[in-house]
Amino acid sequence: MGLNKLFSQYDNREVRNAYMFLLPVLLVIILFILFPVIGTIYNSFFKVLDVGGGQSTFVGFGNYGQFLFDAQYAPRFWESVKFTMMFTFTTVIIESFIGLMFALILNESFKGRGILRTVILIPWAIPTVVSAVMWKQIYNSSFGFIKWLMVTFGANPSVITLGDFQSAFWALVVAEIWKTTPFVVIILLAGLQAIPQDLYKQGQIDGAKMFRQFMKITLPLIMPVLTIALIFRTIACIRVFDIIYVLTSGKWGTETLSYLGFINYTVDLGKGSTVSVLTFILSFLITLLYIKFGKFGKSIKA
Amino acid sequence: MKKILALIFMSFLFISCGGAPKLTFMVGGAPNEVEYWKKVVAQFKEKTGIEVTLLEQASKTEQRLQSIQVALRGGQTDPDVMLLDVGWIGQIASAGWLESLGEYGIDPTPFYGGIISLADTVDGKFIALPVYVDGGLLYYRTDLLTKYGYKNPPATWMELVEIATKVQAGEMAAGNSNFVGFLWQGDKYEGLICDALEYFVSAGGNFLDPQNKPIVNSEANIKALQFMADLIHKYKVSPASVYTEMNEEGVREYFQAGNAMFERNWPYAWGKHSADDSPVKGKVGIAPLPGFEAGKGASTLGGWHIAISKFSDMKKEAAQFVQFVTSFEVQKNLAMELGWNPGRVDVYKDADVIAKNPNLPILREVFVNAVPRPSLPYYTIISDILQTEINEAISGKKEPKAALDAAQEKIIKVIEEYGAK
Repeated sequence: MGLNKLFSQYDNREVRNAYMFLLPVLLVIILFILFPVIGTIYNSFFKVLDVGGGQSTFVGFGNYGQFLFDAQYAPRFWESVKFTMMFTFTTVIIESFIGLMFALILNESFKGRGILRTVILIPWAIPTVVSAVMWKQIYNSSFGFIKWLMVTFGANPSVITLGDFQSAFWALVVAEIWKTTPFVVIILLAGLQAIPQDLYKQGQIDGAKMFRQFMKITLPLIMPVLTIALIFRTIACIRVFDIIYVLTSGKWGTETLSYLGFINYTVDLGKGSTVSVLTFILSFLITLLYIKFGKFGKSIKA
Repeated sequence: MKKILALIFMSFLFISCGGAPKLTFMVGGAPNEVEYWKKVVAQFKEKTGIEVTLLEQASKTEQRLQSIQVALRGGQTDPDVMLLDVGWIGQIASAGWLESLGEYGIDPTPFYGGIISLADTVDGKFIALPVYVDGGLLYYRTDLLTKYGYKNPPATWMELVEIATKVQAGEMAAGNSNFVGFLWQGDKYEGLICDALEYFVSAGGNFLDPQNKPIVNSEANIKALQFMADLIHKYKVSPASVYTEMNEEGVREYFQAGNAMFERNWPYAWGKHSADDSPVKGKVGIAPLPGFEAGKGASTLGGWHIAISKFSDMKKEAAQFVQFVTSFEVQKNLAMELGWNPGRVDVYKDADVIAKNPNLPILREVFVNAVPRPSLPYYTIISDILQTEINEAISGKKEPKAALDAAQEKIIKVIEEYGAK
């Protein structure tokens, strides 16, 4: 509806010119976004081997069948789906709590708030690979900081970090939370600042205490923003790659979907593409769920 | 108006695609390696007037493979010349992406014959030449060996365990709680395959038989893998960090800090251990890796080979460049400047080179008998299976037999699926 209303203000010639000015951007989008995406979906129906010069054979839904049901591929695929979901939900839940806390603190006015707001962005501004390598140093079993802490507090010097699934899992979660909480903070902060101060004054007049104000005013009003932050973070988390690649290289069941795709790409472009498409479908479904259940923010207006 | 805009846009597209053919050489690795290639390229230009552009890659081996695959899958005219890890040559050559070097009058006879026939020949054509040769070696602390009353480095794995246990106990009692007996590469990555192959072959096993049939769960392999796990869990001469994080650099740094008796590493570590700022300078010796019986040790062949792309637009010049890089003088410089081991055998007899690196006779002995990793078009997926299973076995999460049985079964399925070429 928005588009028609927009166009009705202009005559045809103007609309045509507008399209012309949009053309370069549209071409860039088609060439660099649409084309590769369609190419990936297309490739997923083929077996593309390097042998014999990259010849490809059409296999229909064969690749999908293998990943979903075949005894050779399916267990590993579902294992990585399971791990990816575990990783995603643990990370997203924890970081939305921490993110909300930080956002509430930074929303109050106090001395040094400007500096603190900048400082808190630093982890997010660091490229993921760099921060992953940094965490690898921290977790290093020979000279790392965590090891030093453990030994200082009385552990045996032969203790190792990242030695089993549990410790590897939490190590990955901590590294990811450290890296991406600032993103949640910034989005929530923007949401908090959009809340009209009058509402709080009104609340005070009605005698609502701080906690009640938070539950009845702040939380419902930032719900839409929180949903957006959750969607972004969930999608980003489902395709997490760098941290896994650097810290555990998928050892002991810490393989995520994108890591599985990466391994498959080196041999068969078709299989790699299939994993990518399946990852896309998964994040699409989860996004739909969020949008469906994230609506309760609107009920406040009614 | 529309047409003009479209034209402008199209011309942008084409400008970026055009350009005269140029000779490009894809290399990666440590900064000193890239610096070295810049010098070689300058010398080549001085000699022939042909300009060579370096395309720099990441330093991680898997990433270097990917960037080459991307260029070749797309049939790009660049890179014309590239360095390939010996492990991928089979995969890339069987795709038909490499020029046969014999057609350009390049002669393979001055190089290690075994390496040429095992690693550089595909379907009867030789398609690559070794630029550096690598093989697994045993580094040991000469000072500690004498301190604890031993004369020679170990010839068998059990001797190694015995010496390592004694030195480790002694040094820990002397106050160095970080001291370990033996370090090797056990993290889940390609390096683990290299290490495992050495144990497997020295026990009489291998991953594949000469017909490329998988024999992963043979008795010999199970025994060898059991020993690898025992080094960590039973004899306790290797730390648990071996299977969580140890790669070449991790091992080298730990050993170089003076905290280990033995180290399995590639020849490059020698240069670093004997650098002026190294705490173990002058206290390090090298030896061939031990075997389960004396004299039956094995060393995995590593190293980088030079090859010409099928899609090159300057094949003649590329061949000239390959000849230059593998000529006696340039190969000698490689040994003198980087301390690396050239693929040409005749350089190993050169007096200057031996004066600079007295280990060369030992190294030559190691390289002549080095074993290559499987050369298969879909090697990376097989390597991934082996990495996962072997890493789980040495971390004690799986019995060696169960791990190798699982690997065998998966590899058979991969070969069934992708063809037993």
